[in-house]
Amino acid sequence: MKSNNNIIESDKFSFWYGNIRALKEIDIQIEKNKITAIIGPSGCGKSTLIRSFNRMNDVYENAIYGGRITFKGINIFDKKTEITDLRKCVGMIFQKPNPFPMSLWENIAYGPKTHGIHEKSHLDEIVERSIKLAALWDEVENRLGESALGLSGGQQQRLCIARALSIEPEVLLLDEPTSALDPIATGKIENLIIELKNKYTIAIVTHNMQQAARISDYTAFLYLGELVEFGPTRDIFERPKEKLTERYITGRFG
Amino acid sequence: MEKFHNELKSLKRDILEMGDFALGMLIESMDAFKNLDMQFAEEVHSKKDKIMELETILEQRTLELMLKYQPMAKDLRTLACIFTALVHITRIGRYSKDIANILLKELKDKQQHMKKLITLSSMIENVESMIRDVLTAFDTKDLRILEGFSERDDIVDEQRMEIFRECLTYMMEDSKNIPFCIAYIMVARYLERCGDHACRIAEKIHYMVEGRIIEVR
Ligand SMILES: Nc1ncnc2c1ncn2[C@@H]1O[C@H](COP(=O)(O)OP(=O)(O)OP(=O)(O)O)[C@@H](O)[C@H]1O
Ligand SMILES: [Mg+2]
Repeated sequence: MKSNNNIIESDKFSFWYGNIRALKEIDIQIEKNKITAIIGPSGCGKSTLIRSFNRMNDVYENAIYGGRITFKGINIFDKKTEITDLRKCVGMIFQKPNPFPMSLWENIAYGPKTHGIHEKSHLDEIVERSIKLAALWDEVENRLGESALGLSGGQQQRLCIARALSIEPEVLLLDEPTSALDPIATGKIENLIIELKNKYTIAIVTHNMQQAARISDYTAFLYLGELVEFGPTRDIFERPKEKLTERYITGRFG
Repeated sequence: MEKFHNELKSLKRDILEMGDFALGMLIESMDAFKNLDMQFAEEVHSKKDKIMELETILEQRTLELMLKYQPMAKDLRTLACIFTALVHITRIGRYSKDIANILLKELKDKQQHMKKLITLSSMIENVESMIRDVLTAFDTKDLRILEGFSERDDIVDEQRMEIFRECLTYMMEDSKNIPFCIAYIMVARYLERCGDHACRIAEKIHYMVEGRIIEVR
């Protein structure tokens, strides 16, 4: 949406994996303190788009992009933009919870340590605050020294969110964060995401349209690398403007 | 989702059938009323159970579809429209029963009407065509059929008032006219209500087709 409150904006952003074009001239805006959901069929470019927001796609040697993405007005592909600074501002959560094979405490303290914080009491503080923000504290406060791999899937995912929050990002990107979780764990993560929007800006990829409808303020529908429709979530699911969106969300596809 | 769309199609068909059934009851109740045909009135009266039963069954099926498929966009709007339409169609059936009831209770020993039922006859024609158009619009999603609906409803309202004023005069003239006049006033009132129910369904059809919420009259 056009607004002065956008934290991320893309301008005719295109992306190729070698000669495979994954995104075509995407114009999208991610508004501050809102939840933006990205939906679309498998392979339409959702992950590519969300990963572009913090330049995660740079790992691919054959990555080529066109157009721009700005983070708070600054072109993220500019030579002067430090990737680590960008990553610090933009945290990412993946489909499969991926805690490090170390203690809960270590998992959370890891990021702040790499950013130069070493004082134990300060780290303790960050660990507690991050885990509380991720609505996990009550369940793990007595097991901070235990391995993170002993947590349930839903707890692991919330730990990963805590880990992302530990470096105080401004934006959280989530790529299908609940697809491996049961409905109860999913409900907890959804509540957490809604909670977090007061302090953070959130973009979430999801295959669950009801989830997008439940938690997001805006929804973007991608199809074959193009942004077909982008608008207030209620409008997209109740009265989409584009026939293609209509066909996708009503399951008349294929 | 193909299964859902088939089930939705069959639900829509059954709603239309129920609409035809209710409209049939209304037409029959008015025919019975005009002809003071007690036997026919009994028949209409006995159809009310069927309407209630249809309402329950179709409501369950609507809920079940929502529960199983959590539909979106026009499918969601169609189910919302069906949910409302069901209530209003049932009311039309119930008013038809009420009209039959007036005949059976208030006019059971009468051999002929005290006057020619000119306005009432025109009123039932208007209401019948409104209900028929609403059902057609639901079926075809053609909103042009619903253009001018508010004005058509205004005419029906006006006819009801006309019958009321006319009957008032007759009742003052001769108290023997009172049972007939009360019956005419009540029937006119029920027909006018049926017109309103058609308007409410028309509103929901607009929502179903275009996603806009509008007011008909
Ligand atoms: N590393 C890669 N190398 C080459 N092509 C890729 C690579 N990653 C993705 N693609 C292609 O780019 C397109 C977009 O992929 P992407 O992973 O962004 O889709 P997606 O919408 O996230 O799909 P899903 O819902 O299945 O996760 C697809 O055609 C995919 O095959
Ligand atoms: Mg993906």
